[in-house]
Amino acid sequence: MSADDSFTIIDQATWEDLVARFDGRMWAVARAFGLSTADAADAVQGAWLRLVENADAIRDPERIGAWLVTTTRHEAARVGRRARGEIVADLDLPDTALPDPTAAVVDADFGRRVWRRLDLLGEPCRSLIRLYVLHPEARYAQIAVRLDLPVGSIGPTRARCMARLRALVEEEVR
Amino acid sequence: MREEYLLAALRMGAGADPVPEGVSAAARAVFGLRVPGGVPAGPVDVTVPPGARSRPDTGTAQTGVRRFSAGGLVIDIETAVVGERMEVAGQVSPAPGPDARIEVRTPHIGKVRAPSASGHFAVAGLPPGWVSVVCHRPGHPPVFTRWVHVRP
Repeated sequence: MSADDSFTIIDQATWEDLVARFDGRMWAVARAFGLSTADAADAVQGAWLRLVENADAIRDPERIGAWLVTTTRHEAARVGRRARGEIVADLDLPDTALPDPTAAVVDADFGRRVWRRLDLLGEPCRSLIRLYVLHPEARYAQIAVRLDLPVGSIGPTRARCMARLRALVEEEVR
Repeated sequence: MREEYLLAALRMGAGADPVPEGVSAAARAVFGLRVPGGVPAGPVDVTVPPGARSRPDTGTAQTGVRRFSAGGLVIDIETAVVGERMEVAGQVSPAPGPDARIEVRTPHIGKVRAPSASGHFAVAGLPPGWVSVVCHRPGHPPVFTRWVHVRP
């Protein structure tokens, strides 16, 4: 199948509708990786370019949204590794046939419900996650100063707090 | 549930950091980058050392050779960022002939070159970021590489 054939299901209007519906989610995912605004813009643009080159791999238009979010996650991870100076293989591609179904949670309404669950966590989890979410580029040293915690404890504390939050959320969605 | 998705949902729920208009505009513009009737050239693992573009003593950021292939056509590309600009050189094999045209595209600008008798081509002065190469041959559908990310 040529690219021309594959795009019969995606015309200009459909494409713009996809942008309107999903670019905010894709941006949020890229920034959740702690990327700068420039790197996050590269990751999001990369996901759209992957759609151009892989449109024939997507048979179900209803799954394009999940595919875009999944692909943004892959591109953001790749851009993040490169920004840290790691060697990144271009051949390391996401499986375009298998969008991640859990990508559906990237949604503002779901996010507001998660904020309510976050309020159930005590300190320092509540403040730490709040800082981490609202300031994705903040370094552990900066968070340590804000919360008056040893810098070496930020990583483990954050992991523990996220695990508790995830358990609370999964309890709700079950 | 992936942690990044949870964090992204929280960010959206807070209404903080909305997507910049420039990012949305760039996303809309990508539709114009499709290659109607084109054949995608998939990546091929290759261990070719960087060639003439490798100048580690000058601080040039280069990324080695990337190879793509489709329908018997091989496109090798090598990128470098010199200062603030990207250079792209490469070779199409077998050599596509004097009537062929090689288009080196970024989301912002594309430049067209006639390949040499041996299929070589080179373009300079491009903005760093995403880049793709398209080989246009008379009587054949265009062959395009996947998009490659190039930053200093």
